[in-house]
Amino acid sequence: MTRKKVKLAYITNDSARKATFKKRKKGLMKKVSELSTLCGIDACAILYSPYDSQPEVWPSPLGVQRVLAHFKKMPEMEQSKKMVNQESFLRQRIAKGNEQLKKQRKDNREKEITQVMYQSLTGKGLQNLNIVDLNDLGWMIDQNLKDIHKRIESLNKEAQSQAAAAAAAAAGQLIKTGGKVQEEKPAFDSMDAIQRQQWFVDLVNPNEQMGFAGDDMMLPFGDNNHNALWPNGFFP
Amino acid sequence: MATVRKSKGRQRVEMAKMTKESNLQVTFSKRRSGLFKKASELCTLCGVEIAIVVFSPGKKVYSFGHPCVESIIDRFLTRNPLPNSSALQLFEAHRSANVRDLNLQLTQVLNQLEIEKKRGEALTQMKKASQAQCWWAASIEELSFERLELLKVSLENLKKNVALQVDKLMIEASNPATFFPSNSVGAVVPYDSQVAGFGPRSYDFGYGGGRLF
Repeated sequence: MTRKKVKLAYITNDSARKATFKKRKKGLMKKVSELSTLCGIDACAILYSPYDSQPEVWPSPLGVQRVLAHFKKMPEMEQSKKMVNQESFLRQRIAKGNEQLKKQRKDNREKEITQVMYQSLTGKGLQNLNIVDLNDLGWMIDQNLKDIHKRIESLNKEAQSQAAAAAAAAAGQLIKTGGKVQEEKPAFDSMDAIQRQQWFVDLVNPNEQMGFAGDDMMLPFGDNNHNALWPNGFFP
Repeated sequence: MATVRKSKGRQRVEMAKMTKESNLQVTFSKRRSGLFKKASELCTLCGVEIAIVVFSPGKKVYSFGHPCVESIIDRFLTRNPLPNSSALQLFEAHRSANVRDLNLQLTQVLNQLEIEKKRGEALTQMKKASQAQCWWAASIEELSFERLELLKVSLENLKKNVALQVDKLMIEASNPATFFPSNSVGAVVPYDSQVAGFGPRSYDFGYGGGRLF
């Protein structure tokens, strides 16, 4: 069965229309049946076509009458609250489509600006950006700075609490063995805060290249490029 | 590298009442929506008239009808053939024209949505490519302490440069004449908005073919 995209318009070719009608009618009745079974609910369908003087129904003429009787017993307001026809239904779908479109465009724009940001960090100039792009770029940079700041803070906190916990454990160990402990790790207390952090980070990221050599840093740009990620004076 | 699956994809469903109540409501919602969509398409494509009435698990009733639910129900229950007045026909003709327009609008929106989705996928691919090439494209959770600090400094720097560029453009926009000196016969070189950066919105990544570097 081919999956061609069908144009949403009346099929003018008679035989094509009749063939489509037969297939889709069958599929539709099947879907009503499935809905009823899976969810354990009452449902009915009535279909009038130019191909048949009698309406095609699901589940059966009697079944339809039963469901309609139930329907008519409900207050008018309840009946019409969720009632739609082609026009209202299509309007609903258009509205939903527009919402999704708006969201997708927004997401795409964020992705696009993020790419611009990454590229700008390699030294690519800002001349090609218009004022709207620049404003969005500024916003994205701020968002990232916020997240980085949060992350740095949380890493610092972790390092501190780990340090405290390890120091307590080491102290406990010392007391237990009467002071003679084979310390494999350097004593925490003697480290200063930055060293401690670094040590902790090394522990946590054993595979991270600590040095600045290798293929990590690679982006060529000249001295006068102030956006560059690897300014010349940086290496210790 | 294993792909992370967001959902399980299409699974075969057993044709019996669903056991999980939570799933039941969701299933009803989705399937009812799909059912009405199919009914709507059938009416458009084949010019048929239809009414569908369904009761939700929460005892609410949903119905779809073309031309309208009530007329179809009445027609079925009374078994009277439809009156065929010219007024009615005119009314129906207007309604059909409306529906045609709405279908066109819907088609347009859905097409645009598909285009944007594809664009989104392409952008995701670009992001993956960047991540393979530059460490600063990785998510913040994955970066080491040192790299975070580095990145912070670079971004702060970039922010300053962006602000400078914005100022530059604002000045150029308000004073075009100062940037375009007149030639020898006194005519002013025309102001080119492209040059000042007020060009098309979409950023050209400039490396051709969407490559990053």
